[in-house]
Amino acid sequence: MQLHRARDEFEAAGAKLVLIGQLTPRHAAHFRRRQGIGLPVLADRERVSYQAAGAKVAVFSELLGPKVVAKGLLTSARTGKMQGRTLGHPAQLGGAMVIAPDNEIIWSHMAQDAADNASPEEILAAIRGLA
Amino acid sequence: MLGTASSRQQPHPPKNADALAEIVLPDHEEHDVRLGDLWKDGPAALVWLRHYG
Repeated sequence: MQLHRARDEFEAAGAKLVLIGQLTPRHAAHFRRRQGIGLPVLADRERVSYQAAGAKVAVFSELLGPKVVAKGLLTSARTGKMQGRTLGHPAQLGGAMVIAPDNEIIWSHMAQDAADNASPEEILAAIRGLA
Repeated sequence: MLGTASSRQQPHPPKNADALAEIVLPDHEEHDVRLGDLWKDGPAALVWLRHYG
């Protein structure tokens, strides 16, 4: 996972990096083991944080439209990893935010479709902009 | 199909993280974490995963 590889850069920038997934702590723990990542993973079975973050639920073309599938295949080719079985709400999209101590949202990128993911570099740039 | 939305939505991130700060979620070790505690001493990057796949 790209974010795991960038973990040291987040620490050097003075920011915590936390992942939030759906379902249960058991699923989160399994995900960490399978991906070999040391990042904390929170489990949001009811997706309350997804809703509070303004994450959207996709329409069909935003999950499996030609552009989305093509981008997913390119990502798989680049990383050598294929998407596994989807667990949780299959149309729930994700996103990323950088939040400062006064509850200020410094930066956010909530996904427009299933292939729309902020890169670690984009997130780090937002954090470094705080310095 | 697949629980998809019936009409196209737009992401709608909030203006601030007041509501997010009060949410408590269990981590992978089943310890409760109040989200606001993650950024009380410095910035935090939260990443919502689409799935565990």
